[in-house]
Formats: sequence, C-alpha cells, structure tokens
Amino acid sequence: MVLYDANPGENVIIREINLQEKTTRRLEMLGMTKGTKVSVLEKKRSGPMIIKVRGTRVALGRSFVRGIRTEKYE
Amino acid sequence: MNEINVAFVGNPNCGKTTLFNAYTGARLKVANWPGVTVEKKEGRMKYHSNSYKLVDLPGTYSLTCYTMEEKLTRQYLLDGDADIIVDVADASSLERNLYLTLQLIELGKPVVLALNMMDIVEQRGMEIDLHRLPEMLGIPVVPVSARKKRGLDILMHAVAHHYDKPAVPKEHHHPVGAHIHQHHDEYVMVYSDDIEDKIDIVISMLEKKYRDINNVRWYAIKLLEHDREIMERYPIDLSGIADESLESEIINQKYDFISEIISEVLVNKERKSAATDRADRILTNRYFGVPVFFLIMALVFFLTFTIGDWIKGFFEGWIEAFSNATGNMLENIGAGEMVISLVTDGIISGVGGVLTFLPNIFILFLALAFLEDSGYMSRVAYVMDGIMGAIGLSGRAFIPMLLGFGCSVPAVMASRALEDPQDRRRTILATPFMSCSARLPVYVLFSDMFFGKYAMIAAYSMYVIGVITAVAVLFVLSKTGKKTENDLLIELPEYKTPSKRTIAIYVWEKISDYLQKAGTTIFIASVILWFLLNFNTNGLTHDMGTSFAAYVGRFFAPVLSPAGLGYWQIGVALFSGIAAKEVVVSSMGVLYGISNVAAPEGMSMLSSILNDSGFTAINAYSMMLFCLLYVPCVATIAAIKRESGSFKFTLTAVLMQLGIAWVVSTLFYQVAIHII
Repeated sequence: MVLYDANPGENVIIREINLQEKTTRRLEMLGMTKGTKVSVLEKKRSGPMIIKVRGTRVALGRSFVRGIRTEKYE
Repeated sequence: MNEINVAFVGNPNCGKTTLFNAYTGARLKVANWPGVTVEKKEGRMKYHSNSYKLVDLPGTYSLTCYTMEEKLTRQYLLDGDADIIVDVADASSLERNLYLTLQLIELGKPVVLALNMMDIVEQRGMEIDLHRLPEMLGIPVVPVSARKKRGLDILMHAVAHHYDKPAVPKEHHHPVGAHIHQHHDEYVMVYSDDIEDKIDIVISMLEKKYRDINNVRWYAIKLLEHDREIMERYPIDLSGIADESLESEIINQKYDFISEIISEVLVNKERKSAATDRADRILTNRYFGVPVFFLIMALVFFLTFTIGDWIKGFFEGWIEAFSNATGNMLENIGAGEMVISLVTDGIISGVGGVLTFLPNIFILFLALAFLEDSGYMSRVAYVMDGIMGAIGLSGRAFIPMLLGFGCSVPAVMASRALEDPQDRRRTILATPFMSCSARLPVYVLFSDMFFGKYAMIAAYSMYVIGVITAVAVLFVLSKTGKKTENDLLIELPEYKTPSKRTIAIYVWEKISDYLQKAGTTIFIASVILWFLLNFNTNGLTHDMGTSFAAYVGRFFAPVLSPAGLGYWQIGVALFSGIAAKEVVVSSMGVLYGISNVAAPEGMSMLSSILNDSGFTAINAYSMMLFCLLYVPCVATIAAIKRESGSFKFTLTAVLMQLGIAWVVSTLFYQVAIHII
C-alpha cells in the first residue's frame, strides 16, 4: 500500500520512497527514512495529508503521498 | 580580545529569531513559515568583558544545498567567520531538530545546543534528560525559553566558555560491540564500518590532492553524499567508492543514532494528546478547513473596517484641527497665499488624507501577525492545497498570496519559498491582484461616498474580485507552460499563543513603513502634484483646468472614458497612484482642494462635486475596480524586477495588469450603464 491508502488515525511504517531523487532526500532529511513509523492525522479526498513523523507534523501534497510505499502497523 | 562571532542556526519555527531578538533587541520580523528570514541579520552585545557579534542565519532543516536558506547558512558557516554555533532546537520536536544538530557538530566548530520551548514539553507531560543528552552529543545543552526570556544568561555563559572548544564525545554511545574504527572518542557521529572505510579512503585522497582543507572529514562525508557544490570545489574520482544512494544511507544512520538518543533521553513520549491536535481536528478538517479559513478572513476584514473606521474618526478630527491651526499660524506670521496653499492644500491634505487610514492598516497587520505567529499560516497552505492544485500550484503558493492582503512587496518576496522558478513567476504575477492595504483607503473613500449603508459590502467585494482575478490568471497560466511535479511539503508547527513582543515588533515594522511612506513618497508626490495643479507655462494659475496636471490628465481621459473614468482629474489621480496607491486618495483631496477628504464633511463635498460632473456610483465602482487591478506601485514593480531578475517579465506583468484593469472596469461600466 502507499501512504495515501492509509486513513486518519492509522499508523504505518515507511518501506520505500519512489519519488524524484531530490524529493526523496528532502523527505528523508525530515526524518522519513525507511522503517520510520508514521501516523496519519488528516487527509483530503484530493490527496494532501497531514502526518506525524518523529514527533513533528508535516503536510504532504497529493503526489508525494502516492509515492511513499508503506505497510500497516498496529 | 577580539569580538566573538556567534551564529544562530536552527530549523524554521524553532523560535530562533525570537531568541536572537531577546539578546539584541533588534526589531526583526518573526514569521512562522520556513524561509522568511532570508536576509542575514546581525546584532551586537556585551557579556561580562567580551563583546559578541550575533548573526541570525536563515532557518534550515539541513546543511545540503537544495534550498536558498540551506545554501546561505552553509556558506556562512563554511567561510569560517563564525567562532561558535548556537543551535536552537524546538524541544517539543527534538527528534527532527537533532538531525541538524548532528550536521552542525560534524562541521567541526564549537556548538552549543539551546533547547527552546521546554514549556510545551512539560505541558505534554514529557521530560528530557538534560544530563544524558549533552553526554551523548558531546556539546553543552542549555534549556531556554525565548518567549519568557529564561536561560539567556546561562546560554551566553556556555557560549563564553566553549567558543574555542569543538564537540568531544564524553562517552561511547554505539551499542555495537567491536568496531574496527576507533572513532568514538573522536567524533560524535560515527557511521557503520562500511561507511567509515569509505570516509577514510576519501580523506586520504583529499589530503593528497588538497592540502589546505580544514575538517577534511566533513568534506569527505559531503563528497560521499555526492554534494554538487563540494564536488565542484574539490573534484575527486569517486567511482567504485560511492554511488548516489549512499546519501540515503548516511541520512538513515544519522537518524538511527537520533532514535537511540531519543530512546535514552526522552521520558514519557507523548503522554497527553497535544492541544494542537485538537485544534487541528477542526482547523484542518477535510470539510470544515476551507469554510473556517474563509470565516477567519471575513472576520479579519470585518474588524479592519469596523474597528478601524471607528478609530479613524478620531484621527480625522486631529488632522483637521492640525490643518486649521497650521493655516492660521501661517497666516499670522504673514506667509503668502501660495505657501499656505502648498502646506494646507498640498501637503496636509495629501499626507493627512493617507495618515487617516492608519487605524485600518494597523488592525489588518495586527490580524496578519496573529495568524502568522500562532502557527495557523502554514495550515492555510494545507487547507488551500486542493483549490491551488486545480490551478497548477501547491498550497504553499497561497501563503505569498495571503500576505498580499498586507503589502505586495513582502508578498512578492515570499514567493521565494517556492522552489520551481515557473511556480514562482506565476505566483508573482497573481500576487498583486490580492488587494493590499494601500488600496484600502481608495475603497473606503469611494464606497463611503457613493454606497451609503452598503459601503462595507462594496469595499468587501473588491477583495473577493481581487482573489477571483488572481485565481483566474493562475488558471489561464496553468493551461500554458509545462506541468511541474512540485508538491506541498510544509511543517505544521505547534500552535502557540502569539507573543506580544513578536506581534508588536511585526506591527510596528509595518506601521513605521507606512509612516515612512507617508513622509517620503506620498509627501513628495503631494508636493509635485500641487505644483503641477497650480502652475502652467504662464506661471501660477488659479484655474486647475489649465494647469500642467490637466494636460496630463486629458491625455489619459479618452482611454479611460469607456470605463466611465474619462475625467482629467481621475487620470491624474490614477497616474500619480503608481507612486503608491494611497496617493489616489491624497490626490483626490489635492485635486478638488478638499483639505480633509477622508472625513465626513470632506467626503460629502467631494461626492457632490463629483456628482455634479456626472460621476455616479457606477463610475465610483469602476474606479475602485481599476484601482484594485491596475499597475502595482513602484515599490512592487521594483520587487518584481528584483525577484524575477527579468526586465521583460516585469514589463509583461505591468502591461498584463493594466490590460486586465481596463478590460474589467470597462466591461463593468458598459454593462452597468445599460442595465441601470
């Protein structure tokens, strides 16, 4: 599943980021490295989501949330 | 003893600028979205017997060279001016903030970590082990509160004692037992054997080729990360040693170490749900987010017009009294008729007419400062992302547009936060349509004169039409040009009660800008206008209709006539409004010889004069439309030129706006006179 498939209140683990090299690095520098736990706080139908990663809230646009491969985490 | 140079570095929103202000008292702008302190700001202070130069560097998440802020900060730190780095971290999101800390330590300069916002940490029931943290990082850690000005002395004490001592790890941290590289007593951040091997190889290559590098380890790591700038500066052959994916591995290992620190240092991680999460459940809600934002903006403008107008009443009285007193005084000391006319009709009616609107502008900026400092502004980027997406931009582009309600100049400058040059240019084109505070006096004047009890709705509609025009322009532009993949990525900081000091500094800065503008641009424009209106080729004239200005006005009148603005006076007012939009108001006063144009008596005089010449509510609305949309003021044009770096682009922007203004107001006027 990609991050976009997760709903508010759910937790996922980042497995892989399939975006442009530059974007991937920027996300990693903000702490979105492989194996990081992410909780979904808000989500709009059109795509953008608010997630909490390493104690920080980040808003991510529609194409980004579709390029992050994740796995459910309970 | 030389001056000690202290560089303040930190993530955006960590309170770095507030801390900097607490030391220097400098009147700096504090804002809540990444990258607003693009300029380098300096201040000086004494602590005990030493003098210090403090430098506030742009907020940045890392020391790579992707964004302008990163480049600026890194360049400054590398150039070697800084003796010591104060790394300001938001303790409430320590984990993310430590990433920059590790990078700064790696630079090899002395670093002191200032842990800001400890109060939020405590509120949430979390605790940070302040003994273990400095042990693991090998640098002094000082808890501070920039807002409450706590810990400032201790932080400076740490700076005074450590400016010549780089980080030294006090204790081995890696749990991994046998490590063939014995670096743990040398470096804070030690990588896996595999990467350390590569670092050693690159170091030996660098040392052979370039003998003058300080802190060769940092350069070696950057080369392994394939950092473009460093690769150009110190080209070496990396083939067979590292490919580009190694950067990812280096980032991962830093975060692995950070996770280790956090697990030892942070007690009671997130026991209470933060107040921010509860507020966000409404403010960023998928259904309520947009309507709530529009409600907030409606409230902002409602306050601007109602409370602002109420205070404005007092201002009018003072200015009128001042004008009368000055006139009497000049008469008493025997000043000539011409001097009295210049001072009262020219200067006081011009500058005074603009000063009257100070209360409205004060309220508007107060509200904008509140939105920024509370942390709401970056939410707007998320909330508006859907709508902005439909016109080919990310929600991030909405922030410059929102700032445009205050003043177009900083708004155009704020478009820097967008990375893609094409997105930046589109945003720059759309921003001046967001009605800035300088246009507000024009709306208030004309709507009060012609729309009676509907005045507020008439003025309000200008803001709505401005937004619609901006959106329409962006929509058309999104159909041309290539599609970019630049998407929203913005940190949403913790909500906080805005600090009085921060807001006071912000509002004072804007108000003093406005006063300065009244004292310079508007003053000069009023004087020039008075001369043009009272002189012609034969010298002094008492009939303005034969003055120089009338010639200029008559030149524009035929072009403006389809829009119902074919009066030479209007032509003069609009032309002089390019200096600053408020000048439209002051010139109306000067043009019609009304000393207090913004007061009720002045307005009724002006409106009866205008009515007599066939200028009705329809013309007034057309005038407001034209003022909303036409050429931005010279300061904005200069900002557009600076930001785009292109004369052609600037000219296009100006002509496009002029064209849109003419088309919209002509359309409105032609339709309106045929219906009514």
